[in-house]
Amino acid sequence: MFKDITLGQYYKTDSVIHMLDPRVKLAGTLIYIITLFLGKSFFMFIPAAVFLVSMIILSKVPVSYVLRGIKPIIPLIIISSVFNLILTPGNVLVGFWIINITSEGIYMAVFMIVRLLLLITGASILTLTTTPTKLTDGMEMGLRFLKVFKVPVHEIAMMMSIALRFIPILVEETDKIKKAQMARGADFESGNIFKRAKAMIPLLVPLFVSAFRRAGDLAMAMEARCYHGSEGRTRMKPLIYARRDYIAYAIVLGYLGLMIVMAVFGV
Amino acid sequence: MELKTQNLVYEYDSGTDYAKRALDGVDITIGKNEFIGLIGHTGSGKSTLIQHLNGLLKATEGQVLWNGRDIYSAGFDRRELRGHVGLVFQYPEYQLFETTVLKDVCFGPKNRGLSEEDAICRAREALTLTGIDEKYYESSPFDLSGGQKRRVAIAGVLAMQPEILILDEPTAGLDPGGRDEILGRVAGIQRETGSTVILVSHSMDDIAEYVDRIIVIDKGCIAFDDVPVRVFSHVEELEKMGLSAPQITYVMHTLKNAGFNVDTDAITVKEAVDSIMGQIRPHF
Ligand SMILES: Nc1ncnc2c1ncn2[C@@H]1O[C@H](COP(=O)(O)OP(=O)(O)OP(=O)(O)O)[C@@H](O)[C@H]1O
Ligand SMILES: [Mg+2]
Repeated sequence: MFKDITLGQYYKTDSVIHMLDPRVKLAGTLIYIITLFLGKSFFMFIPAAVFLVSMIILSKVPVSYVLRGIKPIIPLIIISSVFNLILTPGNVLVGFWIINITSEGIYMAVFMIVRLLLLITGASILTLTTTPTKLTDGMEMGLRFLKVFKVPVHEIAMMMSIALRFIPILVEETDKIKKAQMARGADFESGNIFKRAKAMIPLLVPLFVSAFRRAGDLAMAMEARCYHGSEGRTRMKPLIYARRDYIAYAIVLGYLGLMIVMAVFGV
Repeated sequence: MELKTQNLVYEYDSGTDYAKRALDGVDITIGKNEFIGLIGHTGSGKSTLIQHLNGLLKATEGQVLWNGRDIYSAGFDRRELRGHVGLVFQYPEYQLFETTVLKDVCFGPKNRGLSEEDAICRAREALTLTGIDEKYYESSPFDLSGGQKRRVAIAGVLAMQPEILILDEPTAGLDPGGRDEILGRVAGIQRETGSTVILVSHSMDDIAEYVDRIIVIDKGCIAFDDVPVRVFSHVEELEKMGLSAPQITYVMHTLKNAGFNVDTDAITVKEAVDSIMGQIRPHF
């Protein structure tokens, strides 16, 4: 179970998209998301959809995996489309009590659904093809310029990787402690919400104790190896752009240009 | 009282690409007043097996029978079973959570529905059996030493007065002194309460002295299930499984090969000494 959490949604296979530098993928995803908000007409979604589908095909990730990422946001989609449906003023089609469904409302609702679907699917392509470690690496390198403004970019990235690293450990630990307390007759499943919350104490106290212990141990181990933050620190696997990364940038910029032109001419 | 497994199979992450068969057709029967050692190389499935004995894991195939009743059948109270089959996990000190030692040990008995007084009474008994001095009863369990914490955690399960007490590697990470202390206490508990104890370990030296039955598990299958002497006679097979006979067995075999007529069935150091002395004395 915890294997899923470690890798996020990462789908392991070898494709061009998997091999791209994480910085390219981060920038590409950001640009893609921005373009979804450039226009107000459905025509804008055609190049976006073409772009997205080509990425999916290139990434070799099975469509079923890609669609899985949509599942958790279905409630969000439903809520936002209901609001759009009933709160958009305009030409009333059906009206009863205080609820008016307008043709503009229907248009807006469908428009938002398409936009959200494109957005989430695009974002999940990023996480499906990039491991969390590479993502944090990419973010650290990509945001390095913020150091000028005294933002501790390296430290933040290190915290993120450590947090990610600890998730599976803590999940495993939770499972162990839970079982140990169940062996002592603890009951986590029955009772009302208050009883259940109280039943969590025997689980949470040892979990926190061990989390702090591990954090202390890790800090000690890092200091013992002379870790001292980003100053003068080099990387074992430095991120270096390859030719394919420049080509990818060119494609993304081409796509961005097309979308801007379409938005400007109001297609 | 009888606990029995029939063709027990367990797969981790069953049905996924990561599926891993940890138990592969285990049949064992555990009766009254036994002292059993469960031995296997790391990853052989010991911890997985014992978690079936109190119903924490649900078998992929096969059955676990408690007094003839299938513990996975509908209507069987597995929480109740956990009071009869007490399981102490590896590194049990990480499960302590209460503000005082006494309260922590009371957690188990209270979950079995005992009153405050009865729970305290049992907790005191259990703490005495594990050798925790009364002066620690009101201190925080987090302030104790590693070995003391572990004994408190064992008392936490013991206080439920289980008929079968299972300890998963109770000596892991302790120094020889702490190891002998714990094993001695466990042997004492077995003698005094007359309950069945299953001691899980990967070291023969740890358990050879104490137990009167050894179950050897290898890659999820039961390899041997016999009295210690007969299990140790399969030295070569044991070594293939990454195990070994107690060191003293090797000493005795070496002596025997060197021409001394010593007893190669000796398991404890004391038996070995007696046997060797018996050979040497006549020469003086
Ligand atoms: N939570 C888990 N998920 C997946 N596989 C597991 C899990 N726990 C154990 N396994 C696998 O099951 C097999 C048996 O593990 P088990 O913990 O029962 O071994 P063990 O005999 O207790 O070993 P040790 O002496 O190291 O405690 C191992 O190969 C292990 O990799
Ligand atoms: Mg184990």
